[in-house]
Amino acid sequence: MSYQLYRNTTLGHTLQESLDELIQYGQITPQLASRVLLLFDKSINMTLATRVRSRLTFKAGKLNTYRFCDNVWTFMLNDVEFREVQEITKIDKVKIVACDGKNVGDEGSSKK
Amino acid sequence: MDQMLPSPGFSIPSIGTPLHQPEEDQMILPNALQQQQQQPTTSQSQVPPLAPMGGLTPTLGLGMGMSMPHTKYVPGFALPITSIQSQTPQHTMMSPMVNLGGSSGAAATPSMGPATPSPLTPMTPHSADPNIVPQLQNIVSTVNLSCKLDLKKIALHARNAEYNPKRFAAVIMRIREPRTTALIFSSGKMVCTGAKSEDDSRLAARKYARIIQKLGFPAKFLDFKIQNMVGSCDVKFPIRLEGLVLTHSSFSSYEPELFPGLIYRMVKPRIVLLIFVSGKVVLTGAKIRQEIYEAFDNIYPILKSFKKQ
Repeated sequence: MSYQLYRNTTLGHTLQESLDELIQYGQITPQLASRVLLLFDKSINMTLATRVRSRLTFKAGKLNTYRFCDNVWTFMLNDVEFREVQEITKIDKVKIVACDGKNVGDEGSSKK
Repeated sequence: MDQMLPSPGFSIPSIGTPLHQPEEDQMILPNALQQQQQQPTTSQSQVPPLAPMGGLTPTLGLGMGMSMPHTKYVPGFALPITSIQSQTPQHTMMSPMVNLGGSSGAAATPSMGPATPSPLTPMTPHSADPNIVPQLQNIVSTVNLSCKLDLKKIALHARNAEYNPKRFAAVIMRIREPRTTALIFSSGKMVCTGAKSEDDSRLAARKYARIIQKLGFPAKFLDFKIQNMVGSCDVKFPIRLEGLVLTHSSFSSYEPELFPGLIYRMVKPRIVLLIFVSGKVVLTGAKIRQEIYEAFDNIYPILKSFKKQ
């Protein structure tokens, strides 16, 4: 079972909205939409782990809060600077939700 | 609060003695001087002699017959005091103490003299260095919130909390002021660590209890107790640890291949000291601040005799 973490992204939200629209028009069943989302979870996890190569670093002025529950870390940072090879972006407030990366490697290799 | 038995040589930090504020880490002698100086001023202001309160010291026995109907029973603390004019210097705010023996209440207390009225001041041995005072570095305390807690709910709703039940069965929460860490268990018991003073530890524990309360649990604040106090200081000269372990073999253990410090287990007070070649000393195992000071006062002459020349 892959993390459903990535459903809460721009890509994930647009997919969910499109699926909801199709369900509204009666063109697909909710069950099919659910299967699509599960497949999305598997794909995005695998793709990010294997096909993405870019590296981003960040430095925050302040760690406002942190939380660790159900093996999920949630951080609220203030005054953050994201840096990617000479390109920097400054953000005032950043929320980071992070899941354990240990399992992700198995997902790609396991056969259905 | 239960009455304190007269116990010489112990301060009572756990009841929130007002004097234990930032000045508390200053020398003991001036502190006693300060207390001495406070006594004459406060004694002047008390015109009607108050009835003695519970927890009397032997010397206050005189006052027993003096209870007057109109005086109020002040539930305060009586510290054993050598002279008749008794004052609890630290509790002048809370319970203006009895001024016994004086039918006119404003009996001045000039007879305090050099014999310090407060037994809090240890009789410092001659070779003690009055300039070095161990600084408190860490205080561990426990308190019972006396209500069952839903740790997952706490971890989800409180800020700065960690909960990993597979590794440890408690929520680890931190606050910034006073900078402390708390371990909160589902039974309602809590451990608070990292404070630099007794009051900070109590305040921090109260803040954690408040957070738990705000999350909807009926948290109380029972049995707050300081379990351990750690202090450190520097004697400013190198020490011959080998010599020390030879002469004080029954108290010391020194294994440089295991740990570079000598572990000195003092019997009275029961404090463990880590003594390093550099002259730095760590004192731990105290339940009250006075034990740290006393232990350092005891070890200082010994360390001086093992100074590296």
